[in-house]
Amino acid sequence: MNQLFRSLLKIFLNVLRIQGLFSALFFIILFQKDTYAQAEEESQSDNEPELEWSGNLDVKYLLMNMNRESAIYRLQFPDASSSLLSQYRLEPYLNAGYRTSDIGLYLKTHAAYYNDREASFDLFEAYANYNLSFNAFIQAGKRVYNWGKGYAFNPAGFVNPIKDPENPELAQAGLLSANIEYIKSFSSDVLPSLALQLIVIPPDELINSRYGEVKNTDFAFRSYFLLWDTDIDLMMYYSRINPKRFGIDFSKNILENFEIHGEYSYNKSVRHYSIDNTLLKSELLNTSSYLIGLRYLGETNTTFIAEYYHNGAGLTKEEYVSYNLFLTDSYISDNSDIKKQALSYAQSYFRNNVIMQDYFYLKIIQPEPFYWLYFTPSFFTIYNLNDNSFHVSILLSYKPVTNIEFLLWPSILTGSDKTEFGSRQVKQKSELWMRVYF
Amino acid sequence: MNKKIISITSLVMLFIVPLIAQDANKLLKEVDDNLMPESYEAYRKLINEEPDGSKKEFTFYTVKKGKDKIAMLYLSPASEKGRSTLRLGENMWLYIPNVNKPIRITSLQSVVGGVFNNADIMQLEYSFEYDAEFDKGTEKEYILNLKAKNKTVAYDKLKIWITKEDKILRKVEAYSASGMLIKTLEFKEDKNFGGGLVRPSAIETYSPLYKDYRSIMIYQAIKKRQLPDEVFTQNYMSRLDDLRR
Repeated sequence: MNQLFRSLLKIFLNVLRIQGLFSALFFIILFQKDTYAQAEEESQSDNEPELEWSGNLDVKYLLMNMNRESAIYRLQFPDASSSLLSQYRLEPYLNAGYRTSDIGLYLKTHAAYYNDREASFDLFEAYANYNLSFNAFIQAGKRVYNWGKGYAFNPAGFVNPIKDPENPELAQAGLLSANIEYIKSFSSDVLPSLALQLIVIPPDELINSRYGEVKNTDFAFRSYFLLWDTDIDLMMYYSRINPKRFGIDFSKNILENFEIHGEYSYNKSVRHYSIDNTLLKSELLNTSSYLIGLRYLGETNTTFIAEYYHNGAGLTKEEYVSYNLFLTDSYISDNSDIKKQALSYAQSYFRNNVIMQDYFYLKIIQPEPFYWLYFTPSFFTIYNLNDNSFHVSILLSYKPVTNIEFLLWPSILTGSDKTEFGSRQVKQKSELWMRVYF
Repeated sequence: MNKKIISITSLVMLFIVPLIAQDANKLLKEVDDNLMPESYEAYRKLINEEPDGSKKEFTFYTVKKGKDKIAMLYLSPASEKGRSTLRLGENMWLYIPNVNKPIRITSLQSVVGGVFNNADIMQLEYSFEYDAEFDKGTEKEYILNLKAKNKTVAYDKLKIWITKEDKILRKVEAYSASGMLIKTLEFKEDKNFGGGLVRPSAIETYSPLYKDYRSIMIYQAIKKRQLPDEVFTQNYMSRLDDLRR
């Protein structure tokens, strides 16, 4: 895998180098001509290549003040002598796309490089599509879907990758699947358009890591309606093994600067894990999850996004206390097997970014304050309504030059030691990113 | 006697004022027709020039159908490539490739930053969004005062200058509801785009809010094109680039 990663990194750097040469030539030409003449010449020589490469290199420095009272920190970092840890990593994203009017082929890759001994490679997407007509197309391969109208959470996102509410716009790995989509427009003010999508998902339980039983194939279906200027989706997920799910979502501008959205899902036989007297308890539950949110654009161009999210399959306050107590008891025991098991439970069954039931999310974005162009500060908080712990972040983004972005991202996690955010490994962290696109 | 004069004047005004307004709206429609075909595809470049002389450039591919359907795809720079926006009357969405989901936005929001905002880039016809009235013109130009038909429009009032000879738009001043001048757009560099369309190819924008900054929108190509309504749907936003092949 490391060799593969190195080869891809080499290709990526070569592409950057070639891109750099072309960019340099482009700028030499650009500054020899006036703006209008240049633009017109580009228009005349407009001949788009069918194969396109794109991507970005993220260079990230992370500084963390660890929570030494946290049980999970003790289990995960048994040898750390200092509470101040840092991480320096590279994340190249390399994408390729080949398009004609009828077919398309797409590849999205991601790698994380920490040092020569520690690196990983992910195939985020690899899929092909065929346009049957303007109304219909089919896609097959590994593809990211994003159902639901929520910004930070998607309770009706049955086929979505698990979203990180700290960074909902982060690229993620897709789902191995095939889908067909049909769109129809009408000359009507009531129902101008509708769309239908059927996704077929091969079994995730495999024999000899390669073969799945046909009867375990999953199906997901979504119908979309633009009805009275409101986006409405009806969704369902059918599976013999995984939970069966039904969902609805909506989004509407009730004023020219005020949007509301919501999602609801009913989930049959969801696996719910908790800790009962130091033992892992697993039960099947029928649960409902929902979200209601708004997006408001203020007069000073400030955007507010607020969401309330209820996760019916999440842990209650008491269940979280039991889980945290189990981790604490494990790390103070002298038995390394118990420690290993506790860490394994935490990483397998309680690994989501948020694992409890009720959250409030607020994000405030102020683009270009004081007419400072290309600088966008934002603030967000994820507030756990069950135990009153919370995560607060400020995100400062600056794009001084085309295709370069700098990000400074300090965060604080607060709460008592028995709460979700108060018992996390990290108390404060600060990230500095440099992102270069090509 | 005075009462009679007042009554007759009121009666005349009652008929004449709507007629004048009708003429102004008719002229505005003519200006729209001279600017763009009703359904088209276009390539545009937006250049933001900063006080220190540095530039930021964006290239867009736009398709429009009828009065209220417009979609736009970012072709460059790489950091924005693949983003698209769709406007269906008062509904507007933004599609970000990483997120892979259209998000409802308002026409007032700025997508690229800089002096231009969505409303400038995703603008429908003036006559669709504004009611017009004549102002006192000059020897060579008509001047119209435009008032937004609803609040979804970014600028509450516009003042526009139109050549009397060929009814080409030359200048637009955009005002907020409070009467503050937000920006000035100047239409320059007439160009023959083919198909009988001769119009300004460059729009320069200044704003008193962004001193010494300048934005230039350059139309590189405009072509009549009829597309099915399905192209102007949320679900097509990720496939807009296919139209260019």
